Amino acid sequence: MMKKIFVAIVLATLAIGFGSPGARVSAQEQDNMSPAEHKRLFREGAKLWPVYCNTCHNARPGGEKAPYEWDMIMMHMRTLGNFPQEDTQAILEYLKAR
Amino acid sequence: MRCANRAPIGGIMRAGRIFSTFLFAIGVAALPLAGMARAADSDATDTAALKEIRAEMRQLREDRKRDREVIRSLEVKVQQLETKDSRVEVTTQQLQSTDQKLKETTLELQQTNQQVQSLQTKVNAPIATPQFGNAVERYLGSHSFTVTGAAGGQFVYDQQSGALDGLHHASQNSFFFDWEPMILYRPADWILFQGVFSAGFGATGTGTDLSTADFQIFLNKYMTVVGGLYDQPFGDWYEAQSPMWVNRFVTAPLPFGVEPVVPPGELGLQLRGGLQFGKLGQDLDYTVWGGNGPNFSSHVLGAAMSSPTSIASAESNGKSIGARFRIYPLPVDSEMGRLELGASTYNGKWLNGNWFNSWGVDFNYFIGNLQARGEWLESYRQMPMGQSTDHRQGWYVQAGYFLTGLKIPGIPEVINNYLRRFEPLVRYSGVNQRGVSTADIQGATGVGLGGTQVGLVPDFGINGSPATYAPHSREVALALDYWIAPSIVWQNEFDIELPRAGGLFVSPTGVETPAGSIPNDHAFLSQFTIGF
Repeated sequence: MMKKIFVAIVLATLAIGFGSPGARVSAQEQDNMSPAEHKRLFREGAKLWPVYCNTCHNARPGGEKAPYEWDMIMMHMRTLGNFPQEDTQAILEYLKAR
Repeated sequence: MRCANRAPIGGIMRAGRIFSTFLFAIGVAALPLAGMARAADSDATDTAALKEIRAEMRQLREDRKRDREVIRSLEVKVQQLETKDSRVEVTTQQLQSTDQKLKETTLELQQTNQQVQSLQTKVNAPIATPQFGNAVERYLGSHSFTVTGAAGGQFVYDQQSGALDGLHHASQNSFFFDWEPMILYRPADWILFQGVFSAGFGATGTGTDLSTADFQIFLNKYMTVVGGLYDQPFGDWYEAQSPMWVNRFVTAPLPFGVEPVVPPGELGLQLRGGLQFGKLGQDLDYTVWGGNGPNFSSHVLGAAMSSPTSIASAESNGKSIGARFRIYPLPVDSEMGRLELGASTYNGKWLNGNWFNSWGVDFNYFIGNLQARGEWLESYRQMPMGQSTDHRQGWYVQAGYFLTGLKIPGIPEVINNYLRRFEPLVRYSGVNQRGVSTADIQGATGVGLGGTQVGLVPDFGINGSPATYAPHSREVALALDYWIAPSIVWQNEFDIELPRAGGLFVSPTGVETPAGSIPNDHAFLSQFTIGF
């Protein structure tokens, strides 16, 4: 019985998850962002970068990695740190701008 | 217009003609009457009258002839005018058509001009860095791959002034090296694979170990599914602090060392995510997971935890579930620092249905150059054959301070620059457990356990002190880190082992012996680490 409930919860969660709005911002969507939106994200990222990163380790400067590497690293950090998606996007914007 | 011109002309002509005819008729009718009435008048008078009438008639004919000529002339003019009018109409139509074409051409020209201006603006504008980056990324392809991780070289010296009863002891010193590359592979922007394997020269020579390997699927803004082999998301240490360049110390705190209180890893599924509940930086996060469950090196009291395991090693299909919730109450703009408060639980079955329960709380706070963190955790293991519960508890608290702002007067600036790179740290940790398995202590070549090895000899990240195996171990660790770069560090740690007396040593057959007093111990570790 417990197993059935567990499986039902997992399946419901996955169904809700896949049916929900998008989780990420593609490169194409980033290109289509207005300059004002880029600036807003950059400012938020500049505030969040030292706080979120230093929670566990020293914050590493954006110039250490290529933008495409930051895409992957920030995906991994979003998982490990359970960062909100918008905050992850803001930090990524900041890191890519170097 | 034409009818209006012709009607008066016709009217004049008909009136003139009627009038002439009328006069002529009167004249003809008057002739016999005149002859009868005035027969007696003279012939001369008649002749004159006739002449006059003839003259009038002649005049009338001439008038009529002139009128006809005028009419003919007017008709010609009318025809000419009609011809001219039709030509004007055709010309007007042509002009209107030409005008329309001109308008259309003008509109097309305006549109073309706008397009040219737009293109010129785009060409002249400098390309933004993110756009350039994205363009390069699209050029390189949607699948991307990179390697991060860490590598470290280490020297360990352990004094081992005394050993546990019946066990060999001798001061130890040795060099070690460990390389832990992390591979990240992103096939799409909703999925990531990460894997870490450890290759090192440790206590038993060269060895490798698969530390973690999992898929991360980003379902939406608030949900991420992780599936595979992963660090236990219990508390903060295993998941966030265990990488060698991240850990401010060379060794792990005692509850996460050679006698862990909760298993260090798990093989299963996680669902996790975070959300902002207030201002920027005020976040909540959750992690729930299930997996293969805990396992132990033996069935006796105090046996070391080893996980994750295969079904064969677990001796059961017992599985586990866990949950962790954390809150970050301070907004970023408050400039009050970052505070994390968390609570975790991990529960499962082992050895054919015996339960295992654990819980813990943790905190982390940093502001400016100061950072402090700590955890408290407890676990309870149901023992087989009516033995009393295997209860363990552990804790640690640590603090560090970056000397970034240091400026000692009277010292050359170049020296101050070196001093500013130091971070002194202190940590106090301890473990309490009813008993410790002597098989684990003697198993100096124990391999596995998620990269952790056990034994009286040191290993990478393990000082090898016998005191760390005491049932009531305590340790004060002093560290001095020298940060060459944010991820390149030279760490030096001095461990003072201060175990408390008490507890049991348990043989592989379950024979329990009082641990008694355990000698204090000292160790020194120096490590150079690069996080890449």
